[in-house]
Amino acid sequence: MVNENLVKDVVKEPYKYGFVTDIETEKIEKGLNEDIIKLISQKKEEPKFLLDFRLKAFKRWQKMKEPDWAALGYEKIDYQDIIYYSAPKQKEKISSLDEVDPKLLETFDKLGIPLTEQKKLTNVAVDAVFDSVSIATTFKEELAEHGVIFCSISEAVKNHADLIEKYLGTVVPASDNYFAALNSAVFSDGSFVYIPKGVTCPMDLSSYFRINSGDSGQFERTLIIAEESSSVSYLEGCTAPMFDTNTLHAAVVELIALDDASIKYSTVQNWYAGDEEGIGGIFNFVTKRGKCLGKRSKISWSQVETGSAITWKYPSCLLLGEESVGEFYSVALTNNLQQADTGTKMIHIGPKTKSTIVSKGISAGNSKNSYRGLVKMGTKATGSRNYSQCDSMLIGDQASANTFPYIKSQQPNSEIEHEASTCRISEDQLFYLQSRGIEFEEAVSMMVSGFCRDVFNQLPMEFAAEADKLLALKLEGSVG
Amino acid sequence: MEIIEKIKTNKSDGNLTEIQKICLHKLQSSPLPNPKSELWRLSNKSKLSTFLDYSVNEKDSKFDIPYPKNSQSTIRLIIGDNCQTKLIEKNYSIEQLSDDELQKYIKEQISFFKQNENWSDLLNLSLSCKNNILGLKINGSKIPPIEIFSHASSNSLNAKTLVIFLEKNCDVELLQVNLGKENSSLSQSTFFCLKENSSVNHGVVSYGENRSNLLNSLNVIQQKNSAYNLGSLHFKFNYARFEISIKQSAGNAKTNIKSMQITKKDEQISTYTKIEFNGPNGFLDQINKSLADDKSHAIFEGSIIVPKIAQRTDASQLSRNLLLSNLAQIDTKPQLEIIADDVKCKHGATISQLNEEELFYMRTRGITLTEASKLQLSSYFQEIISFIPISKDKWDLLDKLLNEN
Repeated sequence: MVNENLVKDVVKEPYKYGFVTDIETEKIEKGLNEDIIKLISQKKEEPKFLLDFRLKAFKRWQKMKEPDWAALGYEKIDYQDIIYYSAPKQKEKISSLDEVDPKLLETFDKLGIPLTEQKKLTNVAVDAVFDSVSIATTFKEELAEHGVIFCSISEAVKNHADLIEKYLGTVVPASDNYFAALNSAVFSDGSFVYIPKGVTCPMDLSSYFRINSGDSGQFERTLIIAEESSSVSYLEGCTAPMFDTNTLHAAVVELIALDDASIKYSTVQNWYAGDEEGIGGIFNFVTKRGKCLGKRSKISWSQVETGSAITWKYPSCLLLGEESVGEFYSVALTNNLQQADTGTKMIHIGPKTKSTIVSKGISAGNSKNSYRGLVKMGTKATGSRNYSQCDSMLIGDQASANTFPYIKSQQPNSEIEHEASTCRISEDQLFYLQSRGIEFEEAVSMMVSGFCRDVFNQLPMEFAAEADKLLALKLEGSVG
Repeated sequence: MEIIEKIKTNKSDGNLTEIQKICLHKLQSSPLPNPKSELWRLSNKSKLSTFLDYSVNEKDSKFDIPYPKNSQSTIRLIIGDNCQTKLIEKNYSIEQLSDDELQKYIKEQISFFKQNENWSDLLNLSLSCKNNILGLKINGSKIPPIEIFSHASSNSLNAKTLVIFLEKNCDVELLQVNLGKENSSLSQSTFFCLKENSSVNHGVVSYGENRSNLLNSLNVIQQKNSAYNLGSLHFKFNYARFEISIKQSAGNAKTNIKSMQITKKDEQISTYTKIEFNGPNGFLDQINKSLADDKSHAIFEGSIIVPKIAQRTDASQLSRNLLLSNLAQIDTKPQLEIIADDVKCKHGATISQLNEEELFYMRTRGITLTEASKLQLSSYFQEIISFIPISKDKWDLLDKLLNEN
């Protein structure tokens, strides 16, 4: 028998990214109205079309209702009690990294994302976003040699306004949902990636999002465009300090893949999840969607969701192009009082489109973990296929695991397969491992890691190792 | 929608029973289900309003029973036939429930009702007059098979209610047949209470004629060590909903469900199931099959709820669907809501058309395409039909289905 007391005694690793950087920041006043939006737009020196886009989105948002269909319970968010723009004070224009406040560089160093010339990661270009602004982007010049544009979205608005105007809001229109409308009205920074025709991005691109202030929300926006026959692998990471209040994070990510292009988008989400009593933590409401516009294009989402008090996230693929492929690989882990309602949408529109969904949910403590997904075969999706697999693992008898797959087919020449299962860490397996001299925690961690193997195999190398460690840390002390 | 108007204004004629009054009162605040709720979201609104368009008919006209009673031992009952049932034999007894017993049980059930989840029951109980409620208490063993018929006559809405108590250690086979005439609506609610150690093989066969509608609701409460086996078939309805709610009140019970719906033309048939395990060691094996052809729409939504108390539950749910036409559509949503950790739960869903390789194989053996398709369909249907009690001996449902196709 597993000793239940042992469970409680096992080391509980504190959230190691929970520190606050003491830096002078520039914040605008709390609240949301047209003037605030105009102020944000003015601060970012945006062209008129973008301000119009924001104002239109704001009008839509005012008429919308916050969705309540997800299996989540949280106190009503007061949208007027949030600061919508917060940026560390720094010199007007930064020409090189040397001019970035050393405190900021130190912060990212501490987070394991060194930005300085000597230390920067060799094979990954990083865009570091601190509260509402992008601090620095590494390897810009090297990427530019290949024609790849990788910069903050604010910079792209200034330098590549044509691309922004052409693509922004085409995958996730402002009217899409409540949080997308909110983001469209107030989005601050985020990353912009453009891969020209025929180019395979020479290195992985990465964005690191850091929330530092407790009273401001983060509303980043990411736009990735892969032209014909190009390919890119993009990584996203996020952390936040420990505050006893809830911070709102409402992001929008749009991906566009043209003929034969492929985009791989990987996320390790480790926002602060609140303490054991459920106090504090990030409310994470994210709209991520990719459009496979071109023939044989491919968009692959892989995510490891371990943080946030509330997760509301459904990375989706619109499969328009003939023979386009959508993939979704997810591990969502909830512990203590975390709640996650996450999954994907695969909308098959074009013929011979294919999609794969592999979702692994692990719920421990008093948490709630739901998979919610939609697979839809449109009338023109002849010869299309979908395969979904959703497995849940329950740890402890207080956690809940739900599965809500919506399956809709209007095309007889298509096939949909869905399977879901729920299990727990079996005592027999634990006993077996322990009898082979493997420590209890290690045995649990091995089994969890085995359970998630299908998804971890899809993550880029650096992330996979990180994710494995992250899960082991998060789970320590929760098995009974 | 005459009925809804009546509910709103509470202008019903005749003498209403207490239950009718309670249900009418409950419906008054919101006479129609919320079209945005998960259970009614996909339901065709205009078809539902057609269902409600007919005026209520409390009298029962004669109708043809689809097959003759060829065995003396079968007990045949028709809801609304005003029959007095009291059979007391050596091994068993079948008696009608007293008014008090009926009222008490139905009232208790109503207290658990939710507006959207039990709207069909509320409507049924508010329309079902005393004559159209049949309550039975079944006791004993070696009981002859029982057939119960419900019927809706043309151009009217008929509401029929069936309440069955299965006493301890009782074992019975029961077939319920719901028949709809042309342009008719049938509201059928069935309440089953299975006491400890009882078991039932329950069959539900519902079929209509041109433009008939059906709201069929089935509420089952299973006590410890009871076994409930359901085989059901719904076809030929312009609009039909089959709502199954099963509660294993103290766990330790077995439930087997095999249901099927076949839609053609512009029909819409949906099956909603909700299985709750309120105790440990529960078992569920469920399969739902749909076949959608022409411009029809088949829907399946099934939820399995396993709270913390329901440890060692073993539940599986499978939704298999055949989509045979470009204009037809199928929606399926199997759901699991689990809090207990020591459970084995799984679900699966597939949507496809007839297997081309199998068809090709048969054709290379000289079987025509039509024959080959029929063979495939018959194996698809057979799994469900063979699970429906009684009928399989004397009523060739398979033949009926294949010839319809």
